Amino acid sequence: MEEEEIEKAVIAYLKKKGFKQTELAFQEEHHQHQNQQTKNSSSSISSSTDPDIAKHILSFSESENIPARYHEGYSKLRSWTYSSLDLYKHELLRVLYPVFIHCFMDLVAKGHIQEARNFFNSFREDHEMMHLRDLQKLEGVLSPSHLEEMEFAHSLRQSKVSIKICQYSYELLLQYLHKTQSITMLGVINEHINFQVSPGQPASISDDAEVVTLIGSSQDDANQINQKEIHWGLLEGSLEERLEKAGGLLSDSEKAEGEVKETDTEENKKRSAEGGKQGSSIKKLKKDKVVGAAGKTARPEANAVSMAPRVKPELALPVMPTEVEQSILEDLRNRVQLSSMALPSVSFYTFINTHNSLNCSSISHDGSLVAGGFSDSSLKVWDMSKLGQQAATSIMQGDNDLAPTEQILGTSGGKRSYTLFQGHSGPVYSATFSPLGDFILSSSADSTIRLWSTKLNANLVCYKGHNYPVWDVQFSPMGHYFASSSHDRTARIWSMDRIQPLRIMAGHLSDVDCVQWHINCNYIATGSSDKTVRLWDVQSGECVRIFIGHRSMVLSLAMSPDGQYMASGDEDGTIMMWDLSSGRCVMPLMGHMSCVWSLAFSCEGSLLASGSADSTVKLWDVTTSTKVPRSEENKSGNTSRLRSLKTLPTKSTPVYSLRFSRRNLLFAAGALSKSG
Amino acid sequence: MSIVPKETIEVIAQSIGISNFSPDVAPALATDVEYRVREIMQEAIKCMRHSKRTILTVNDVDSALKLRNVEPLYGFTSGGPRQFKRAAGHKDLFYVDDKDVEFKDLIEAPLPKTPLDTGVITHWLAIEGVQPAISENAPIEALAVPSDNKKSEYKEDGLPVDTKLPVKHVLSRELQLYFDKIKELTLSRSDSILFKEALVSLATDSGIHPLVPYFTYFIADEVTRNLNDFSILFALMRVARSLLQNQQIHIEPYLHQLMPSIITCLVAKRLGSRFSDNHWELRSFTANLVASVCKRYGHVYHNLQPRVTRTLLHAFLDPTKALPQHYGAIQGLAAFGPSVVRLLILPNLEPYLRLLEPEMQLEKQKNGMKRHEAWRVYGALLCAAGTCMYDRLKTFPNLLSPPTRAILKSNKKILPTKPKINPGKRKASTDNLMQQPPLKKLATDGSMGVMPINSLAVDKQGLTGGFSTSTAVGSSDVGLSSMSQQLASENISGGRREVGTRALKASAVLAQAWKDVNAGQLSASLFEYFGESMFCFTPSPELSLFL
Repeated sequence: MEEEEIEKAVIAYLKKKGFKQTELAFQEEHHQHQNQQTKNSSSSISSSTDPDIAKHILSFSESENIPARYHEGYSKLRSWTYSSLDLYKHELLRVLYPVFIHCFMDLVAKGHIQEARNFFNSFREDHEMMHLRDLQKLEGVLSPSHLEEMEFAHSLRQSKVSIKICQYSYELLLQYLHKTQSITMLGVINEHINFQVSPGQPASISDDAEVVTLIGSSQDDANQINQKEIHWGLLEGSLEERLEKAGGLLSDSEKAEGEVKETDTEENKKRSAEGGKQGSSIKKLKKDKVVGAAGKTARPEANAVSMAPRVKPELALPVMPTEVEQSILEDLRNRVQLSSMALPSVSFYTFINTHNSLNCSSISHDGSLVAGGFSDSSLKVWDMSKLGQQAATSIMQGDNDLAPTEQILGTSGGKRSYTLFQGHSGPVYSATFSPLGDFILSSSADSTIRLWSTKLNANLVCYKGHNYPVWDVQFSPMGHYFASSSHDRTARIWSMDRIQPLRIMAGHLSDVDCVQWHINCNYIATGSSDKTVRLWDVQSGECVRIFIGHRSMVLSLAMSPDGQYMASGDEDGTIMMWDLSSGRCVMPLMGHMSCVWSLAFSCEGSLLASGSADSTVKLWDVTTSTKVPRSEENKSGNTSRLRSLKTLPTKSTPVYSLRFSRRNLLFAAGALSKSG
Repeated sequence: MSIVPKETIEVIAQSIGISNFSPDVAPALATDVEYRVREIMQEAIKCMRHSKRTILTVNDVDSALKLRNVEPLYGFTSGGPRQFKRAAGHKDLFYVDDKDVEFKDLIEAPLPKTPLDTGVITHWLAIEGVQPAISENAPIEALAVPSDNKKSEYKEDGLPVDTKLPVKHVLSRELQLYFDKIKELTLSRSDSILFKEALVSLATDSGIHPLVPYFTYFIADEVTRNLNDFSILFALMRVARSLLQNQQIHIEPYLHQLMPSIITCLVAKRLGSRFSDNHWELRSFTANLVASVCKRYGHVYHNLQPRVTRTLLHAFLDPTKALPQHYGAIQGLAAFGPSVVRLLILPNLEPYLRLLEPEMQLEKQKNGMKRHEAWRVYGALLCAAGTCMYDRLKTFPNLLSPPTRAILKSNKKILPTKPKINPGKRKASTDNLMQQPPLKKLATDGSMGVMPINSLAVDKQGLTGGFSTSTAVGSSDVGLSSMSQQLASENISGGRREVGTRALKASAVLAQAWKDVNAGQLSASLFEYFGESMFCFTPSPELSLFL
């Protein structure tokens, strides 16, 4: 009695769903119907029910044991996959993870919470190695409403995962699904996986980095975005370029230096007239002279930089005062040439007695100023040349810039060795010095960014715009503009003279944890908790690149000085080198045991320094990987690997920030943490 | 089904006064609670990361709650981990021990110290890629242990990890005290009984090995500084002797530091500033010390004894050196034993005595002090030569017996023939003489000894001029017998006085004598120099022969 079965199924369904009135109505109708049936025995009308619908309804009735079917279907698919041919196994294994999480979410969505949990626990081990963090997030999903609420789960359910698979693997999979009649699995796969079937041999295991991360936007979108054109070259008329031009003339370098000296003396006159206003720049000169003494021998050649194409700035960039320009040029001339053979000297600034309250630190370009942002809402700035001077007063004596700084110290409390900046009302999460060292920006959990003057020791502007804690703020390489990133999932571009943001970059699916300017100021890169790094056009505010490959939140970013490469460090200690133009990962750098807090390229781009929570500074050789195999890259990806040159352990001091001075001296800072 | 059991929800509900709610509520709330907790923890971890920490604190949770616009939990601080205690009588019920604090105690308690203010210190983490071994940097061991696997990685890259090892020598507090005490005793109270005990301790204690470098440095340093202070020098030498006596410690690597100081105490021009200082005693003492060092470590450092003897011989043969220096050198050489005396002193005995003689005579040397010194040296020489002779006579008691003489005769026959064969090549002949087998045998005793003798002999040849051949013959004649021959030689030499001085002749006699291993002749010539005083060194039977 097919009909009766159908009726039963319908009643059961209605019961289950709690449609009591409907159930009653249905039963009433059913009785009437039956009466009618008894009346007119020729009841051919009722049997006119579409057999398809009947089947459908029947299949619905099986929904009683939906959880069992998911469980069974998945475990069958799993064992089939594991016993498949070795050649195709890894491709088929990739299918398992999306199937797994979608099965789980389907079960949750259908209200089988307990079964979903059982299902999850019995198979989670398979995926823990690759997707531990995602699993931890999903574990918490315990009701259909959570699925809607949770961004991650929601985006997973909205989008399709695309998996590259070879023709034969695809056929194998389909064959299996049809043979075993596992409708449920087929449904899940059809609904959530988008196969990109490619003819020929299965792809090698190594290059499936992209598959690992499930992102909100589909892979296609990402690929499409990555097709956009970007101009990664250096700015026209940059100082480096000018230096090179000068370098051509510099064969008679003495003459040029003589000129510089002349201008210097003129400037000195000016300065003395203006008092201590430009004190810092003179000081910088002085300081770097000591630093760069060794570098005099090495003539800058800067051929790596010269190869980069030139682009026009899209922003109206600030004009640099000539004397500052001169000092920078002087620095560039005296730069130490670094390579795998000539490693840099590292000066380490250790914060002591921080009582675990130091959240961030920043070092000015010349290393003379060090700022620390604290969880007690304060920002403290140390003048390192001052500190050194306390030890040996004789060196700096007679400098006309001494007087004003001393005054500053006097006002800031006499005893203190630092300048205290108070104004924020929440932990300070980031600080950045302007290129000339005269301003500091700080971002805080109170969702504001504040601009401070190091000369006046006062707060100048408070920028309000973000709605949530601002995780990071960075001055542009030319100053004036700055970028911020926040928990509100946006990054914003600001200029110093406006209290409203100029651009808002929205698109990340989770917090934007770090931000970094491209060397030519036309782009910013953002790293996010959604495990992607994005590159944005500053002028248009559009996302121009998505870099997928990290397996945990991205904590630090650095741009190579030639503008072609970017390095990003994540929570797991992995550093990835990206080629901006292709949007592909050049090479992951493994080595750190814990979070990579900071990254810095040396000024000519041959070395990458990374600072980590495992209390080490590592130096990486990036010339071998990036410059050399560029020709080979088209052929077979990246065969050569980036080399770890050196590990410099500190005495239980996690490295918070790194900075190469213009003369290639590496500054590092961190807070001494006493273990135990 | 969720990690929050529904009983917990019920308990919490009861605690806030809700007792009756439908059974569906608890499980529904439990799942939601779990989700919310996870959500907050996720945010808290973000806050932790942005505070650049790897340990989650209460503050992070508070910040996460603030992010969600939830009132943070007050009253929890990030102290140490909370101590959970098991409730008595229940297997799996735990509680946080929260002690009652007396309000009075809290108020009366002294104010806690203000926490130290934050500061920044700077140091070089690396200089051109190499980490300097300073206290601010992590010790090398800490680096090496966890990075075993990393190291292999570097090796792959062909980049050796070059870190400079810190030069650090840990000395325990006790040893430091011990060292300071010994130093004090040596420098200021060397005549106390305690110092004697200290010396015993130094000679026997096995635990002082870490101090050896410090002691050697101490001795070397103090000797150079206290050349005028006799008592300190003596004390230092006694310390050195004790150290060298100690079988437990390994002093060899430091000998090169120690030896110069000891030799200084042996042959220095002045040891001590006062007249009363018995530096002769110190020199004798040091001489024995040197000899014992060479005996003990000679097999480790093969050039040790030759170097010492060379130094001493130079001091001995240099006429410009003061007599005390000569004394020290003689004592030092004598301490090495009769063979060294025979090799190095006896050949030079004659010319030296000629130098010494005027110093000893009252009429020629008016300075009593000088004369005293000369007599001292004379005594030392006498002693050395005498011991040497005694040794020879002891070793070859039958030297004077006829068979030996026969051999000697045959020897004699060979010897004089050579000059005859090559009368023109006098020099060559003497060279030949030098290279005869017995000499070679001796050369093994002290290879160094050959050279000065050789040159000495050549010198002599040069000096004596044409007479050498005849002297050689004469000396061989002398070699024929003992007592009577001595007289004969005397006669011969006396007879040839016109050719050369008696002394010169006798020197040649001596040179020949020890070459021929003829103790009888040796003693004879020695008697010639020292007269009756030599008898005390002659064993009685032989003495009877002489007499």
